[in-house]
Amino acid sequence: MGGRGRAPVRLVRRAAADVTRRDWLAAPYVVGLTALVVLPAGLAGYLAFTDYYGFTAPEWAGLDNLGRALDDGQFWLALGNAALLALLVVPVRLALATGCALLLHRRRRGASLARVSAYLPSVIPDAAWALLWLWLLNPLYGPIALAARAVGFGSLGLLTEPWPTRLGIAAMLGLQLGESFVVALAARNLIPDRYYEMAAVEGARPWYTVRRLSLALMAPLLALLAVRDVILMLQVSFVPVLLVTDGGPRYATLTSPLDIYREAFLYGDLGYASALSLLLLVLTGLVVGLQLLLARRLRWI
Amino acid sequence: MTVAVEHVRCVYARRRADPLVALDGVSLAVDDGELVVVVGPSGSGKTTLLRAVAGLEPLASGRVRIGGRDVTGEPPASRRVAMVFQEYALLPHLSVFENVAFGLRARGVPADEVARAVNDAAQLLDIAGLVDRRPAELSGGQRQRVALARAMVRHPAVFLLDEPLSSLDTELRLRARAETRALQRRLGVATVYVTHDQHEAMALADRVVVLRDGRVEQEGAPADLYAEPANAFVARFLAALPMNLVPAAQVGQRGEHVVGVRPERIRLAPRDGRLTGRVIAVEPAGDDAVVHVLVGALRLLVKTSWAGRPATDDGVALTWEDADEHRFASFDGPRLT
Repeated sequence: MGGRGRAPVRLVRRAAADVTRRDWLAAPYVVGLTALVVLPAGLAGYLAFTDYYGFTAPEWAGLDNLGRALDDGQFWLALGNAALLALLVVPVRLALATGCALLLHRRRRGASLARVSAYLPSVIPDAAWALLWLWLLNPLYGPIALAARAVGFGSLGLLTEPWPTRLGIAAMLGLQLGESFVVALAARNLIPDRYYEMAAVEGARPWYTVRRLSLALMAPLLALLAVRDVILMLQVSFVPVLLVTDGGPRYATLTSPLDIYREAFLYGDLGYASALSLLLLVLTGLVVGLQLLLARRLRWI
Repeated sequence: MTVAVEHVRCVYARRRADPLVALDGVSLAVDDGELVVVVGPSGSGKTTLLRAVAGLEPLASGRVRIGGRDVTGEPPASRRVAMVFQEYALLPHLSVFENVAFGLRARGVPADEVARAVNDAAQLLDIAGLVDRRPAELSGGQRQRVALARAMVRHPAVFLLDEPLSSLDTELRLRARAETRALQRRLGVATVYVTHDQHEAMALADRVVVLRDGRVEQEGAPADLYAEPANAFVARFLAALPMNLVPAAQVGQRGEHVVGVRPERIRLAPRDGRLTGRVIAVEPAGDDAVVHVLVGALRLLVKTSWAGRPATDDGVALTWEDADEHRFASFDGPRLT
């Protein structure tokens, strides 16, 4: 054995010493993460390969659940809806957040009020926001429908027709741009003033400056925001569709999280729901991986 | 083209404090092809002056003319100025080529013309091999050249340089200084060059403008400023070693004035001088030594040969020629005669 065996031992010992020195500071987070995320996720990962209804012990079922998921039209429909929603919401939210950040980054009269109003929709609890939009989108007495009727558009089909409802939900989600806005604002404020002065001396027009300077230098953070929003849209677009549309009309807004929620808590098929969660996790990971690859290829990050 | 700054006043409004007057009636004229160095201690307003010429700083009053045309209130883009910023302000996400091309592209110059102009500038500044790199992959000296290339590629009427060499190490700074000077001569463009380094000012300038607290203390050719400083501040500021100032009474002269002698013009003797004192420090300076002499409560500097240096704690006498004497009204006052 000689030296070959001892080096790893020394490495392990050094790593252990490092842990004792500073990494204890991460302990509360690690404990919380383990107890509240890693263990339940592991358990769900196990349940995905069982038949489990909550009344009797889970029974090993192998790949049956996954096989069933591949043939489950409703799951793929829900995934398609979630992807559609992401496709609508992510660009809108990113554009709004970036636009607000570029307009409101300077300390001007009224800027702080405007910043608060941009952030407000994200502070309101999801349920309250959903109830507000339930009223806004109401096809009979909601202000949008009333306004449309007043100018002769008739009923817009809000909450009754698939596409108007999808757009309504997308608007509702797209306007929750608080966190994206704050990150975009920080990204904008990280750009030194002297770059803008240079651009001014070099004769760059405003739009050229925004494109070549602001957006180009904010791109890495904006790319990460887009990735985050895609994850959010695929995984947690749940409260609004549950409270406002309940997946309707005609499954138009049934998203993956809602579908999984129904499998688990409406039909009690916890094993199958776990399998769907696992599948969703893997698919989301693939999409995010593709996004990061693209961003790197474009030298954004 | 010429630059004329006329009685310019710049004021920064500050919260809960008096407004700060950064420039207080500054005038400055730069001839075509001339290199004027604005020098002063930090906070003297020299960068503000440069920014005022560029149009980056609003004026409280006064005018700026470029090539005879009044450009006061015009945006920077229409002034035909190019600026080399402190730390250069190269865009980190763009290649050297795109950095140099930035202004041309912003003005919609056709791509083949951009390529030709950028390549010419890169040739001239010896950065042709670096055009595909990003600023992070360049050394300090290379960055400085890229910044210069970006400034000259548009053929501006005026160069404005804000401490362009301050982030380079000594050896590189000497070389870059000579190269910058040669480039400016070759292009023949009116240039305002800001620095806090009086060596740089003396070495580069056709004319030096000394600024303090937002006012011009003196302007003129470097040699003239050295030979006849207009006041005690310039005498102390614009020299390798600050001028020694001694109250008249202490050297046996009548009057309330102050006598100034440059350290390099004082001779040390064991005894029989105009002043006597004790050596408190001896600093090596190449072939020379800078000797700190305590005369009463005054600390005077004497430059002497390293071989002829006294030892610390020696008693020494200081003497000089009458012709090397300057007279000022006070320690901070104007020149007399």
